[in-house]
Amino acid sequence: MTARIAAAGLAPANQLLAGLRASDRRRLIAQCDPIELGFEEVLCEAGERIRYVYFPTTGFISLISAVDKSSNLEVGLVGSEGMLGSSLMLGVEIASLRALVQGAGSALRMDAARFVRELKRSPHLRERLNLYLFVLITQLTQMAACARYHLVEARLARWLLMTRDRAHSNEFRLTQEFLAYMLGVRRAGITRAASNLQKRRLIRYSRGSMHILDARGLEAVTCECYANAAQLYSRVLT
Amino acid sequence: MSGIAFPEQNHILDALPPAERERIFPHLKLVTLPLGSVLYEAGDALRHIYFPTDSIVSLLYVLENGSSAEICVVGNDGVIGVSLFMGGETTTSRAIVQSAGSAYRLSGRRLKQEFERQGETMHILLRYTQALITQMAQTAVCNRHHTVDQQLARWLLLSLDRLPDNKLTMTQELIADMLGVRREGVTDSAGKLQKLGVITYSRGTIRVLDRQRLEHLSCECYAVVKRETDRLLPARRADGLGPP
Repeated sequence: MTARIAAAGLAPANQLLAGLRASDRRRLIAQCDPIELGFEEVLCEAGERIRYVYFPTTGFISLISAVDKSSNLEVGLVGSEGMLGSSLMLGVEIASLRALVQGAGSALRMDAARFVRELKRSPHLRERLNLYLFVLITQLTQMAACARYHLVEARLARWLLMTRDRAHSNEFRLTQEFLAYMLGVRRAGITRAASNLQKRRLIRYSRGSMHILDARGLEAVTCECYANAAQLYSRVLT
Repeated sequence: MSGIAFPEQNHILDALPPAERERIFPHLKLVTLPLGSVLYEAGDALRHIYFPTDSIVSLLYVLENGSSAEICVVGNDGVIGVSLFMGGETTTSRAIVQSAGSAYRLSGRRLKQEFERQGETMHILLRYTQALITQMAQTAVCNRHHTVDQQLARWLLLSLDRLPDNKLTMTQELIADMLGVRREGVTDSAGKLQKLGVITYSRGTIRVLDRQRLEHLSCECYAVVKRETDRLLPARRADGLGPP
């Protein structure tokens, strides 16, 4: 119980929770436990039953669509602006995407059955979270189109900016294998794109650590998708 | 566009319990959707949702440079305009008719009223949204990793499942737009399928001759989407057909 009370203090760190009506927010937070998300931890596999929903505060989670071990694509990124487990809002208890922790950090975790009960209780909560679902689905379609048409360098820059926003930091852990896996490209392609960005002094990358030196510069390199996603979120949810 | 249309041709409408039908059906309007027509553009306000009977509509995400990628196909299995009940007032994709036919149209206002009841209509539509999400995510990874041949096979199968017969009226330009590839790519792939005796293609009509072979030539993405859709959506009623 003490852990739950402590969690209440963390709540505004998740923007989705912070944007709820006070009574809904209090009810949800009272039923959440603060937990730590470990780097590269799989929170849920596609096809598995959803046991918990997560409201990240400092950690962040990749949503991955996979066809086999080597063919993947990241189609969503969930940080303190969102939540994991929104399928429950659609009445579906089985996850359709793999959820992989990309940034270690904290989150608030809530039991899935309790979450569903709260949705039934409060139409206002459902309405608000449906808007997030709309944003998430749009992000998915955007990332699909981006993966199809935009060059690796622009996509890498978008990915770095999205990650920076969710890491709340210019420095984060990262391997090239992981990047290749997320962006669904060969490792050689990632190496080339990353070294181009490095040569232009936009990033510094060494031994699994990424340092963004010039976010503005990255914004100039990336495709429209980064700004579009950010605009949509603020238009719909703030 | 064959024969008389009735709402139960659409699986979602067919699955509604009697009380919901009584409320909704009187407000449905049958509309004709010509090939290539646009139901809405990205950024448009959503005023209606559409339940196709024998038409197929593609949702495309359009980039600033005008190139587009298909994110899902919707036919008699579903509904166009899911943003509306999530509270998104405008669309973020283009909805274009990929196979001519009919659809029932319902005003957004009516739909919202129905949603506020939090009844079976809401539950069915939300589950359908999850099936759409699966289709979108699978299409995204498929576009990234699979060959045009495989993608064309997947696309033909998904279309076929939503049509009353094995015939698809299509132009190669439109297919190229849907798959986000150059027209020559589609011509090559369609040529291969024709040589194998899997399809015939002439004057804008594709006929599928060997469905099993087509399933074999497609990537697993078709099966994944089909399995999820079947799992998430209510089974068709035992008689398979509504009132004539």
